[in-house]
Amino acid sequence: MILDTHPALPEFEYIRPANLAEASDFLAQHPDTARPFLGGTDVFVRMRDGFMKPEFLVDVKNLDGTNELRFDSRTGLTVGAAVNMNRVIASPDVQAHYPLLAEACRSVASYQLRTRATIVGNLCNASPAGDTIGACLVFGGVLHLHGVSGPRQEPLSGFFRGPGKTTLKPGDIVTAIHFPIPPNGCVGKYIKLGRNQLSDLSIVGVTALGHKDSTCSSGYRFRLALASVAPVPLMPAEVETYLANNPLTPDAINEAARLASQACSPIDDVRGGARYRRQMVRNLSVKALTEVWKKLD
Amino acid sequence: MAEPKVENSTSPVGESKIRIDAREKVTGAAIYADDIQFGNSLLHARIKRSPHPHALIKKINSEKALALPGVKAIVTGQDFPGYIGLYLKDRFFFCRDRVRYVGDPVAGVVAVSEEIAEKALGLIEVEYEILEPVLDPEYGARPEAPLLHPDLGKYAVASFIFPQPGTNISNHFKIRKGDVNGAWEKCTAIVEHKYRIPHIQHVPIEPHIAIAKVDEAGEITLWGSSQSPFAQRNLIAQSLGISPGKMRVIAPYVGGGFGCKAGVSMESLAVAIAMKVKGRPVKLLLTREEEFFTAFVRQGLTAYFKMGCDENGRLLAMENTFYWDGGAYTEYGVNITRAAGYSSSGPYEVPNVKTDSYCVYTNHPVGGAMRGFGMPEIHAGLEQCIDELALRIGMDAVEFRKLNCLKTGSTLVTGSRMHATGLSQCIEKTAEAIGWGKKAPPSAPNKRRGKGMALMWKAPAMPPNAGSSAWVELAEDGTLNVGVGGQEIGQGVFTVAAQMAAAALGVAYESVRIAAPIDTRYSPYEWQTVASRLTWSMGNAIVNAAKDARKQILDIVAEAWDETPDDLNIVNGVVISYKSEKEIPLKNLVIYGLPKPGDQGWRGGPIIGRGSFMPTYVTGLDAETGQGERAVVHYTTGAQAVELEVDLDTGRIEIIKGVSTFDIGKAINPELVEAQMEGGFVQGMSSALFESLQLKDGVLRNPSFVDYRIATSSDIPKDLQSYIVEVPQDDGPWGARGIGEHSMVPTIPAIANAIYDAVGVRLEGPPFTAEKVYLAMLDAGIVK
Repeated sequence: MILDTHPALPEFEYIRPANLAEASDFLAQHPDTARPFLGGTDVFVRMRDGFMKPEFLVDVKNLDGTNELRFDSRTGLTVGAAVNMNRVIASPDVQAHYPLLAEACRSVASYQLRTRATIVGNLCNASPAGDTIGACLVFGGVLHLHGVSGPRQEPLSGFFRGPGKTTLKPGDIVTAIHFPIPPNGCVGKYIKLGRNQLSDLSIVGVTALGHKDSTCSSGYRFRLALASVAPVPLMPAEVETYLANNPLTPDAINEAARLASQACSPIDDVRGGARYRRQMVRNLSVKALTEVWKKLD
Repeated sequence: MAEPKVENSTSPVGESKIRIDAREKVTGAAIYADDIQFGNSLLHARIKRSPHPHALIKKINSEKALALPGVKAIVTGQDFPGYIGLYLKDRFFFCRDRVRYVGDPVAGVVAVSEEIAEKALGLIEVEYEILEPVLDPEYGARPEAPLLHPDLGKYAVASFIFPQPGTNISNHFKIRKGDVNGAWEKCTAIVEHKYRIPHIQHVPIEPHIAIAKVDEAGEITLWGSSQSPFAQRNLIAQSLGISPGKMRVIAPYVGGGFGCKAGVSMESLAVAIAMKVKGRPVKLLLTREEEFFTAFVRQGLTAYFKMGCDENGRLLAMENTFYWDGGAYTEYGVNITRAAGYSSSGPYEVPNVKTDSYCVYTNHPVGGAMRGFGMPEIHAGLEQCIDELALRIGMDAVEFRKLNCLKTGSTLVTGSRMHATGLSQCIEKTAEAIGWGKKAPPSAPNKRRGKGMALMWKAPAMPPNAGSSAWVELAEDGTLNVGVGGQEIGQGVFTVAAQMAAAALGVAYESVRIAAPIDTRYSPYEWQTVASRLTWSMGNAIVNAAKDARKQILDIVAEAWDETPDDLNIVNGVVISYKSEKEIPLKNLVIYGLPKPGDQGWRGGPIIGRGSFMPTYVTGLDAETGQGERAVVHYTTGAQAVELEVDLDTGRIEIIKGVSTFDIGKAINPELVEAQMEGGFVQGMSSALFESLQLKDGVLRNPSFVDYRIATSSDIPKDLQSYIVEVPQDDGPWGARGIGEHSMVPTIPAIANAIYDAVGVRLEGPPFTAEKVYLAMLDAGIVK
């Protein structure tokens, strides 16, 4: 809650490292006082509102290729940490192979903010409401990191620890998010429920991705990710399992949605109540899964 | 006022002229208060505010803050003992002994930079003794509630406001008309409902700003974003115990007001601080958060309605009780509760009415004027009850309204007679445009479609003798300079002023300038830019000024041509004679006059016309019955209808179509009138669907646009229609009356009625968020 009627950006030192190694070293040396930033759309707002007071802001844009958006038909898509959302939306490769990612980006804030906002920033901010997180999860995103001991990779699925909390250690910088080639013929859908049409935070967000899969008994495999209904972005495995193992019918989708609703633990806050959120997880899961299913057949 | 004698065909009145301020606003050249440069001498002010909703101030220690290099002075309530307020003087500049809301100003700092002023705030130590707050107006009105203003009985108050000393009720307005108790048994159908309206904010794009400077002689200059430069001059000077003549207010363009920049609010703080640093201008600019926490809010309301009709659907009785959540100070709000009282029947003829409208002090933000001035709040519930009553009696809601609505000559709730009105035409036009009675299929299987209508009335709420004045003068090139004291707050009043001046004098619209910015030293007096009163009141003053100038001009020319003024006219800047067919351009005579033949001297001289207007016919109302000869100057009436869809999966409302029809007497500029109708609809829709200040234990939980949602362009229905009805006002210029506020009055109930039509649920109050609509449907078993 903001009680300060005169919020102002506190003083901080702006650090522009020459390369990732230098950035990691600096961040590791100042574990409690330094913070990396990309577009700054969250960091500056939170600093102004008094929620964080880093002494140093380390600009990790444009370091060692973090500004690259790359698609390889063999290995998949790599979105550099500094690639803004409007670039993702406009990319023909994204539109052709990962349209769900563009759809999720389009739902974020406004056009102006999307020229600053980045997907990696959205992930590192680790808000349960992050609009692009669901798409990154269902596409099986893998984080490329740079730490004090050099580069490494981590799956996104284990990244989130709580609101604003991740597995990142001092000195860690996420340099890119990588997505493998998506399953053949897959279809995705993101449904964002905001309070009004434009530029709101989501009260509930439901991301669904499905494809035909002859290895499971239903013949379909779905992934579902939920925003704003738990301390972390949620990908309830029971939904995936249920839909893989039961014949796909409207009733099965209703049951999967019920499972999704059961899996979440929403809270009452200024944007919406827990009771409503739980209902919406169910209704919007039905909607998203049904729409994906219809397009698959 | 009869129509001025203007026979030329180029009269711009009634034409949609391009706004006079369009070019400078579109190009960014227009000057707003924060654009004014004050050079190096400028100092910056910040306000230390109460973190508690209700507490006693035990001690303020500002020594450390004062010792901070760069801090020039610190001001507290001890420095300023004078009360201030528009209708009830119930507040100090800075709190003296008690704080009454979160954000109440406790001290002011002035420093050489904003950063230092900000830092100094943290060094001021305030010791409080926390008191039990009043957070609900109904509770606050009870005798057991803690008393927030023990000195209420000592406050200076306008003659038409009735405070109840020893309680938290700062105004109790009553209507006792006919015999309500006796009427209920004659009713075939009766409905009773309780509604709650939340506090909302005005959120103008330009936050409040004031720059004050006090010179060595004690003369005060205030620059600010203001709807009320003259009222500020008077009220601030009075409170300081100085002559209003020593105070000057300069008010450039306003980036939106909607009522929150009326009266006096933060401006007094800037003046108080500037008095401690004479010779230096002091700027106080509110942050957006401060806007949310501390600017005037639209008061909350808890309303009880009871109304009944006979078997034919004729309204017989109404009993309405309003508990207004007036907030910490009700200096302005008391008159909102009065307006709600004398308009409490809505635009209907009802023989028996009992109303109690209570303005109640609470430890919530300060209530003030907001577009509609109490009318959106009361119509929200009233117009839902009308729908329900129609349903009970088995009548179509539109037929029910046509039967009961005010017509010319109807008896009003205050006992007087309705002037000429086109309300019935408004209903018919709105019903036709929305396709009343026809139900279109929803756009998808998970949607339900509905239509709803609501009516409204509203009078300018102001003292009975609120006045206007104007002057006109002509330049050597015959262009017309028009002096007004009414403010351009985006509504287009400068444009309309120019059109009326041009038409009344006989010059082209394009040759008129408005003498701006408004400066109380040079501009003619205007009470306030509020109450949708300028086109009517200031318009009359302008017409009078133009007629005055016109008479001077025609007298000179008549004398020179040896004709009578009746045979002369001014057309497009040229004086013509219908008799001799002579003509002379204005520019040839308006400064230097005309030479007499044979070099025998001159006649005439610089032309300057003056005019003023003040209603003289408004009478008081009986304190016990609310009855009187003429409560107000006039009522603008109108109707709105919406068609919407409710999403059964989410509860989300989509407005498909909106229709507005208002009887505004005469549209001086039809496009600007339509802009007001559309803008009001959108603001009304925003308040109906999204807006609410979420106050918990007196603390605002959503003081930013992140969580205080307002409609954006994407939320506006694609099909928005506006219709103008013109039944002239007897004393309006060309018959005009106001429209600025009225357009958002019926929107909440129109939407509520459409939601009911679509899914059969009614909510206790706005905003009708998707969550509230969905959960209501869930509880009613409409969705599972």
